Amino acid sequence: MTFRNLMVTILFMIMLFFLVAGNCFSDELDRFKGEKQILRISGGTAHIPVMKEAAKRIMTFNPDIRITIAGGGSGAGIKQVGEGLVDIGNSGRKATEAEINKYGLKMIKWAIDGVAAVVNPKNRIKTLTRQELQDIFSGKITNWKELGGNDKPINVYTRDKASGTRSVFWKKALKKSDITNKANVVVSNGAMKTAVKNDPYSIGYISVGFINDSVFAIVLDGVKPTLDSVKQGHYKVARGLYSNTKGDAKGLAKKFIDYLLGPDGRKMVLEKGFIPVN
Amino acid sequence: MDIKETIFKSIFFSASVFSAGITLFISGFMIVLALPILKQGLFFDMLTSPWAPDHGLFGLGPMIVGTICIAFMALVISFPISLGCSFFIGILNPKGLGKWLKKMVESMTAIPTVIYGFVGIFLLVPLVRELFLKGSGMCILSAAIMLSVLISPTMILFFVDSFARVPQSDLNAVDALGGNTVQKFFYVVLPHSWKGMLTGIILSFGRAMGDTLIALMISGNSVAFPGSVLDSARTLTAHIALIIAADFDSIEFKTIFLGGIFLYIMTSASIILTKFLFRKKNNK
Amino acid sequence: MKPEFSDRLFNYFSWGCSMLLIGAVLTIISFLIANGYNVLSLHLIFDDTRPLDAIFLKTQVFDGLFPAIAGTVFLILLSILFAVPIGLATGIFLAEYCPPKIKRHFSLLFDILAGIPSIVVGLFGFCVTLFLHHYFYSRLFPCLLISAFSLAFLILPYIIWTTQISLETLPLSVRLTAPGLGATKLQNIFYVLLPSSLSGILSGIILSIGRCAEDTAVIMLTGAVASAGIPRSVFSSFEALPFYIYYISSQYSDNSELMKGYGACLILLFICITLFVLAHWIKKRLYQKILYQP
Repeated sequence: MTFRNLMVTILFMIMLFFLVAGNCFSDELDRFKGEKQILRISGGTAHIPVMKEAAKRIMTFNPDIRITIAGGGSGAGIKQVGEGLVDIGNSGRKATEAEINKYGLKMIKWAIDGVAAVVNPKNRIKTLTRQELQDIFSGKITNWKELGGNDKPINVYTRDKASGTRSVFWKKALKKSDITNKANVVVSNGAMKTAVKNDPYSIGYISVGFINDSVFAIVLDGVKPTLDSVKQGHYKVARGLYSNTKGDAKGLAKKFIDYLLGPDGRKMVLEKGFIPVN
Repeated sequence: MDIKETIFKSIFFSASVFSAGITLFISGFMIVLALPILKQGLFFDMLTSPWAPDHGLFGLGPMIVGTICIAFMALVISFPISLGCSFFIGILNPKGLGKWLKKMVESMTAIPTVIYGFVGIFLLVPLVRELFLKGSGMCILSAAIMLSVLISPTMILFFVDSFARVPQSDLNAVDALGGNTVQKFFYVVLPHSWKGMLTGIILSFGRAMGDTLIALMISGNSVAFPGSVLDSARTLTAHIALIIAADFDSIEFKTIFLGGIFLYIMTSASIILTKFLFRKKNNK
Repeated sequence: MKPEFSDRLFNYFSWGCSMLLIGAVLTIISFLIANGYNVLSLHLIFDDTRPLDAIFLKTQVFDGLFPAIAGTVFLILLSILFAVPIGLATGIFLAEYCPPKIKRHFSLLFDILAGIPSIVVGLFGFCVTLFLHHYFYSRLFPCLLISAFSLAFLILPYIIWTTQISLETLPLSVRLTAPGLGATKLQNIFYVLLPSSLSGILSGIILSIGRCAEDTAVIMLTGAVASAGIPRSVFSSFEALPFYIYYISSQYSDNSELMKGYGACLILLFICITLFVLAHWIKKRLYQKILYQP
């Protein structure tokens, strides 16, 4: 029956699919020569651009290595690496004492980043005081005209509880004041940027490394959030980008983290908008 | 040869038991995992209290209200349109065009939900935002509109099917007596097919409640009890998706099993209800 | 005879609703096409890697849709592999062997299974993974295998239904011929009934393939990630087309990525509609062929 032949042919093609081969070259990447494993990474969404770039270079150098990257937020990264579901768990905040003790985590900081409040570029409001920021996020101020802008409602966007970006923003920018529960919830820095970019009346917060022309970073209490102001310590809403492993990093995970801390890695970190750690 | 027969029969039987077992297994698994919360007798509490993890509140109230609001609104939008389309296909059928509309509706069932969500984000949300000038456009209304387009084919096909079961003799009788189309519908078609129509409505409602992507992408996902249709809201399905992506092994996580159980019960109840309707119809 | 007012109202209402629905669908599709047709090209799928290199897995594709498309294809194949044998066997049992009393209960359970929201099935899959991870295989993670399993549960009811109905609606003449010639029940099933109902069963399988291709909620929780390349084994994470669309829609960093999202939508839409049309065509053609074959 032709149907059976068709099935056999398809099965054969599937088997053909699972044949591999290939090679390439570099020197910082030499440490990855000969490795054949899978490296699983998840966690902070701010780290993802750097992760993806590093993964791309490593996988191009040695196609036998497989690196999978997922998001989920800092909380997810810490939990997942602690439970052994991933090899490296990224977080945009320090793991708490409880988390470190429960899972035996080792933290490695490879960049410094800031968290800035952002609005749509079309918004007339460019600076805010801390009090105004708190009132906007807690829902006390609900219209842009109360701040001198257009007569339009303020649409607040926030992150979910697992987000390290959120906890840093809440602690250091909002000084732990409430975030209204009517705010729209988005799941990552990328998603926040998209939301603010598309909504002319929005306000949200993202990692400084993600800022580009499509959003405008609010000047908070007179300090504009940029790479420099974070580096020099003027802009206080800053945090480290960490990669956590369960116990000391070993094998492919250790090589990956060493790569991030090396000269190639530091250049990549800078390119993506973060400040490499000395 | 007898042994072969018995072997195969038992293979088929075990396959069936496996399949049926899966249904029960899924519910059992979730109940077991939600047990810690159920044991504390907090079931109904959980279903009504707000979600505020910072304050130790893990209630699913806002999500359940969100689910019901969005699904109900989608039903409200979809019902008249589905009715009209099914009239077109089943009763009116001008110049044979009904056949083409039916084909189109059937093809609509193939459209993936994620595409509705995608188009919703980039086309519908800005529209709603600028039109109403309140809220971000990511709200119950937007989600309900997209959802109604999703469930319309199901409803239409159910309605058309019910209309088709009306005995031709009855329809002819109306024509012979000089009745017009409206009279035909209300006095002949509706009494015969209202049960089938109700089934379609219930099943579509179940489908609307169980949909994840559209709500996740378009309804804004805020954790407050929604106050108006232009408010951002979160459905139970989107809530499950969001929490799993971010967390597990904590109290928040355990509550989503409650959510899962709730959804399971609601959809199963709607199916059992429709079976009940159908059975009575057959006995008629 | 002048149509009465109520009749005219009825007409307007029906036409109006139909136009509304058609308008909505056309708006959606033309919106996608208008924004996405520029992007449709080999570059969309393979990015900077040469297509042949990518297909034979010599080099990896990083920013193209190829890994997502491949992931979806593997997912479909695996799910079908799980669901078809079980679904077929169950359908045969329900149609041929099952006593009516038990049949009602089975049918009810399968209807309930069909009605379970996909995210609940995904939740189930995720929990099973965690459970196995803790107690049995600590190297087991959400992966292609688990996603395929969960997806199989989702499509199982459809395969059972279509098998059952195709078998049950066979005309009596077809059913009774072989036994009349001395064949056993089993021989009847395998040599006569199944081939005769092949068109229905096949169309059911193809519709299930469409369901697998479009589902996002299940795979989101059981192994689909945003960046994973071609899955090397069934135990690895994978990318999938619908998940890619969801991911891009909320987190695109520049316009070119958004355009890729539109392209992905068009490709997915094309795949689903093609499968649907194929299923219908097969059902119609094969049915005629089988019925009228001398």
